[in-house]
Amino acid sequence: MKTKEQTRKFMEMVAKKNGWHLNRDEEFLDMLADGLTTNYNRYGYYSCPCRDADGDKELDKDIICPCDYCVPDQKEYGHCYCGLYLTPEFYQSGKEPEAIPERRPL
Amino acid sequence: MSSEIPFVEENGKVDHQDITVYALSTCGFCRRGLQFLRDRQVKFRYVYVDKIPYEVKNDLKVKLQEKFQRRVAFPFVVINDERALVGFVQREWEEIIKFNIKWEK
Repeated sequence: MKTKEQTRKFMEMVAKKNGWHLNRDEEFLDMLADGLTTNYNRYGYYSCPCRDADGDKELDKDIICPCDYCVPDQKEYGHCYCGLYLTPEFYQSGKEPEAIPERRPL
Repeated sequence: MSSEIPFVEENGKVDHQDITVYALSTCGFCRRGLQFLRDRQVKFRYVYVDKIPYEVKNDLKVKLQEKFQRRVAFPFVVINDERALVGFVQREWEEIIKFNIKWEK
């Protein structure tokens, strides 16, 4: 089991390690921390909170946070699918992340 | 879409369109979208699809995909059972409200 505090640390660690910024909207971050914590405690891994998981680690491996689509999405839109991890450029622009198209293959 | 799905009804004054939102309880954009509708007093129903049985959820996703010919991602909004919006993009959702305002005049 993970607590929300542990999930926040995980999010911060992932961002720091990759040179990304977390979304500056604390309320939004809190919702994503809740969502990731729920998914960890449901499935045993940090499945992306914005995607419907199968609950099978092998099937969901591409959407375990940070997902396989994070970097391509950041390159195209400046942030990941969830609006959690932002590139430094996007963060500095002051823009707010919004929903982007799903690039995960069907 | 199905009587098996436990929709939650949200009341609101803006009720000229039939709005159903399929969402994930874990998703920030889904929660923002639902709050957007509440803040604008839109009447709608929603369901958190991650909280319904696996088979029911998968059956629902297939039906939505077939009916609307759209990739099913969340939030997935169905308007009047004939049009679908995918994802919470505020300017697109504003159209839902504008349409209602026109009808109210």
